[in-house]
Amino acid sequence: MTNHWIDFKNSDVILIMGANPAENHPVSFRWIMKAKDAGAKIICVDPRFTRSASKADLYAPLRSGTDIAFLGGLINYILQNKLYFEQYVRDYTNAAYLVSGDFKLPGELAGLFSGYDAKKRSYDVKSWSFRKNADESIIKDPTLKDPNSVFQLLKKHYGRYTPELVSKTTGTPQETLLEVYKLYATTGAPDKAGTSLYAMGWTQHSVGTQNIRAMSIIQLLLGNMGVAGGGINALRGESNVQGSTDHGLLFHILPGYMPVPSADLKDSAAYIEKHTPKTKDPQSANWWGNRNKYLISYLKAIYGAKATKENDFGYSWLPKLDPGMNGSWLMIFDNMIKGKFKGFFAWGQNPACSGSNSNKVRNALAKLDWMVTVNLFDNETASFWKGPGMDPSKVKTEVFFLPAAASFEKEGSITNSGRWAQWRYAAVKPLGQSKPDAEIIHELFQKLKALYTKEGGALPEQLTALTWNYGFKRADGTIKNVDIHAVAKEINGFFIEEVEDKSKLKPGEKPPPPPPPWAPKKLLGKKGELVGGFAQLQADGTTSSGCWIFCQSYNEKGNMMARRVKKDPTGLGMFPEWAWCWPVNRRIIYNRASCDPDGKPFNIKKAVVYWNPAAVLPDGKLGAWVGDVPDGPWPPMANEKEGRKPFIMRADGLAAIFGPGLKDGPFPEHYEPMECPVPENFFSKQMTNPASKVFNDATIKEDVIATCDVRFPYVGTTYRVTEHWQTGVMTRNIPWLLELQPRQFAEISPDLAKEKGISNGDIIEVSSARGKIDAVAMVTPRIRSLKIGERQVHTVGLPWCFGWHTPGVGDAANLLTPTAGDANTMIPETKAFMVGIARKG
Amino acid sequence: MTSRYIDRFSTKERVLHWFVTVTFFSLLLSGLGLYSRLFTGYFNLFGGGHHAITVHKVAGVLFFFSSLALFLHNRSRVTDFNEDDREWVRQRGGYLSTEDVHLRVGKFNAGQKMFAVFIGAATAILGVTGLFIWMPLLFPRWIVQMSLMLHGLMFVGSIMFVVVHVYLATIGNPGTLEAMLWGKVSRAWAKHHHPKWYKEVTGNNP
Amino acid sequence: MADTINQAARKGFLVDTARCIGCRSCQVACKQWNKLDADKTANQGTFENPRDLTPALYNRIRFVESAPGEKVSWQFFNERCMHCGDAGCMKVCPSPGALYRTSDGIVVYNKEKCISCKYCISACPFNIPRYGADDKVSKCHLCFDRVVGGMAPACAKACPTETLKFGNRNQLISAATSAKKILYGVDDLNGLGVVYALEGPPEKYGLPDKPSIPLSIFLWKDVIKPLGILGFWGSIGAMLLHYVTIGPKKIEEETGEEGHHDK
Repeated sequence: MTNHWIDFKNSDVILIMGANPAENHPVSFRWIMKAKDAGAKIICVDPRFTRSASKADLYAPLRSGTDIAFLGGLINYILQNKLYFEQYVRDYTNAAYLVSGDFKLPGELAGLFSGYDAKKRSYDVKSWSFRKNADESIIKDPTLKDPNSVFQLLKKHYGRYTPELVSKTTGTPQETLLEVYKLYATTGAPDKAGTSLYAMGWTQHSVGTQNIRAMSIIQLLLGNMGVAGGGINALRGESNVQGSTDHGLLFHILPGYMPVPSADLKDSAAYIEKHTPKTKDPQSANWWGNRNKYLISYLKAIYGAKATKENDFGYSWLPKLDPGMNGSWLMIFDNMIKGKFKGFFAWGQNPACSGSNSNKVRNALAKLDWMVTVNLFDNETASFWKGPGMDPSKVKTEVFFLPAAASFEKEGSITNSGRWAQWRYAAVKPLGQSKPDAEIIHELFQKLKALYTKEGGALPEQLTALTWNYGFKRADGTIKNVDIHAVAKEINGFFIEEVEDKSKLKPGEKPPPPPPPWAPKKLLGKKGELVGGFAQLQADGTTSSGCWIFCQSYNEKGNMMARRVKKDPTGLGMFPEWAWCWPVNRRIIYNRASCDPDGKPFNIKKAVVYWNPAAVLPDGKLGAWVGDVPDGPWPPMANEKEGRKPFIMRADGLAAIFGPGLKDGPFPEHYEPMECPVPENFFSKQMTNPASKVFNDATIKEDVIATCDVRFPYVGTTYRVTEHWQTGVMTRNIPWLLELQPRQFAEISPDLAKEKGISNGDIIEVSSARGKIDAVAMVTPRIRSLKIGERQVHTVGLPWCFGWHTPGVGDAANLLTPTAGDANTMIPETKAFMVGIARKG
Repeated sequence: MTSRYIDRFSTKERVLHWFVTVTFFSLLLSGLGLYSRLFTGYFNLFGGGHHAITVHKVAGVLFFFSSLALFLHNRSRVTDFNEDDREWVRQRGGYLSTEDVHLRVGKFNAGQKMFAVFIGAATAILGVTGLFIWMPLLFPRWIVQMSLMLHGLMFVGSIMFVVVHVYLATIGNPGTLEAMLWGKVSRAWAKHHHPKWYKEVTGNNP
Repeated sequence: MADTINQAARKGFLVDTARCIGCRSCQVACKQWNKLDADKTANQGTFENPRDLTPALYNRIRFVESAPGEKVSWQFFNERCMHCGDAGCMKVCPSPGALYRTSDGIVVYNKEKCISCKYCISACPFNIPRYGADDKVSKCHLCFDRVVGGMAPACAKACPTETLKFGNRNQLISAATSAKKILYGVDDLNGLGVVYALEGPPEKYGLPDKPSIPLSIFLWKDVIKPLGILGFWGSIGAMLLHYVTIGPKKIEEETGEEGHHDK
């Protein structure tokens, strides 16, 4: 989230699309209702009329997988009716940039952007670049009138997204569509804020990343980024999934969103060169220019004293990806079923239910030599070998089950979607032999380290060089129990040497005369102290930080995450002394964009920050930001010398309406899901995302796609319900929750039920090209059939929280979903696929 | 020599009557607390409300069958309402006057007949409604609600009738109780109170 | 036992149904606080489960789905004991202390004193009390064990959207009235302890338009009972009066046939 949960209350219009907060984030609705109390309008766009929709002022149905069409129509509406926030678009986005003349839009190239290579299924992005002056600065047209300007290209591109065509594709009635557009576009007023709440309903599509990009463009056009009650807000599906991504859960990022090095980057210098954006714009803060400090501090954190200047701080020990290698979820099981893995840790997860195309996952697990499952309860993954269709005598996989402690049985931090890291304490002791994850990892590490030390092996240093100062060390160097505070401190980082506070020189400025030797040294920190914030991190190995964005979370003032002060000076619900939030306790990211270039808030009543030119700083200078922690201390943009542009994480300081960094286009374009109910894409000849990986290995029988197949004529979509969590491993084992939602069901419209002779409560079989499950038919007007072009398209809604391991609840909905994923993230497309249904018995 | 006494009730009849009486008073005592919290103290007779209810249920079943049996036993004698009975009613059985009123009364007078019929009907109603109240979950709520009301109403009717019955069978009509105690009444009593019946059993005119 | 109620001190709920998202935290929080077992349920083609209150389910959400024309609505109604100001259950309960009212105006019960007569089931205008395997009354008691400790009931504590607002009843009502909400249960049955702000007519939520103690229960307790007591003593009085005024029917002993008489 750019903003945070409580901030929802500051919105004027809340667009719930691709999410269902009432069901999956019930507490968030506290703040949504507060917004409503204050007069805000709620819009809910969803294939199903959900519990969130029940509270919406405006509900619009759409066919799953057509969000870009829907949002593209909104962009078109905003542009056609000049409802955008012009000053914001001009000053804070790249709308004025001129794009290369070679660039072509999908409208001109049958659904493709320029540079497509059909064989590689990828784009050569050369033509997606900006035009540059001789000095490498980008050419701009502040009037936004140049036909090659981002703004005009945007207008041209989305000019195709007329309400008629959008409605034809999405199935949303045109009047409803326009009602949504009209209402949401009102937030283009400078003093109005609209927020976007999304979750897996947007991400789990073959165009998932572009769904969010489309909304980002809308938010930028309407000036909704950086303001209170605005932003792009991903409602994370697990209480600490934000924290786990922050700390490098994904295959391609190190802690703090640093790319995992590719094997062709031989040393840290090459890595830093490749991953440090450059700018010549004096007004750009270009925060990633600090990449070197974060990388070296990270290496110092994990390798400690073993990381020296001489050995490049241990850079060579870092695990690397082969160039272009993808290690994402779908690939793991694709490789596993091809026999490329020996072992597998299923840690706190249940891929036999959560994995798209679960049959493929389950069969892949059978190809392993061993699997370790770490979980609270036995589950479909741990017991896959005795699951439906498995012959235990033929499964060679040896399975180990390590019982893990639940969240309330251990101490530590969790980081919520709003980036707030909150410290929690153990309420009770772990049950039986179960242990906190950290303890399990700790034991595993000690055993592995001992083995590597004794026996050697390939790259033993990756383990043996690791620091492991997580508790009291016994004489033999082992640690009995992990001190989780020690882990938190390492994440924050230490001064490894005394670090002097050298004032940075501005270009052209003369260095001050050296202080007399008797003057006391100005120090950032003494050796051994905790670092106060990431601005103090150094690239020379004198500081460490396990995750630079968490630098400040546990400093010399104490554990900031454990703070519980209920003070809200701005009245906007930012509660700066409640827990701690990355980065540097900034509650709303890019908050300087909430003010005009003079630092005056666009909305005086809900000012996140404002520039007070009269404030006196300790060094005697005048001018400071007041309110939330600003994105850097520099004055606002209007100050040509020292001012900085607001989007500091971008190399050019501006938000990207034109985003050349994605694999499938700089603007989002509608493509049909990999498996879809219509024979044509009404927007172009290109049916599906041209840059998405296609899994069509003939040797893998599970990988089948059935578009426009008469056996599977209905759009299937999966979702969660309030009563269960994820695959339900925790919740299916709580009888109280099973009481509320006792088994797999399928929501279908009364029209479809009538057509198929199904009554409410009947048992039906839902099948796809990949599997079938039984479900109780829930016939409800909350699901409606939609007119797509000339056909009536039905939707079948399926919760994915059930699995065979719990008796009587039915098997996993993911048995039906395809191995197909987003072009950028490879997140599986579980929200739009094709199914058939039939009444049983 | 003719006896000074005439047989009025057989042993079987007397046992049955007293059985009904005992169960009735058990029901009364165990039910008083259920009827109103004014009488909660009566629960103590049974060791608490819970036991009182158990007694009430058991006594209820026994009363139901015995009382119905008693009614059925006398059915033909208590349901033949004739002109003499109407005359008895018109004269209020002579009970509102100190004068001796001579009425043609058979084995049972009209008042007794009404009492018997009422108790018979009340037994049926109390029994059926009692069953509904016993198992309220098996029946629609309105039936149980009506039952609670009717059960109370029938109880009130019964207890008032019983008060009159006890009075008239004891101190109100000396010599009557003996009939139910050892089965015999004096000829004089029979002649006086049940002349028609006297003739029936003795063949003599009173 | 006279059921007196101090309206000013009365605590209760304001259930603002327009805020409810049907998350059912209330159902689960109640089970947790009150240590209630789970009920075995089956999906019957609705999210609503269990389909009715049970001895182990003191409050639940009723899912009210309707689709007049194109417009779908899905409303959520918290069903529970209403803690009536004039409580039918207390009116009929024969066991003192089994069902009683706390000083906060909450209708609570003591299973130890319940004698399993089940009269409360019939007397409740809302069909709330349930009897479980222990054959004792159970229903929502507004977590009076929490309330005495100054805490809100478990359900209200868990409610994320402030649908269940707990507090001084009068204050809750005046706040809701000034917010122009349409309220249910302000005056009915001497005021319900659980007042609803509804979005539609009460029937839509399965509520009686004008809730009242069932007529037959009223007749039983308020008419037949007092009259019956009067009738009982009246008939005894009448008999006594008869005895002393008109007197018993003494039989003139006949001397002709029998030689002696013994009285």
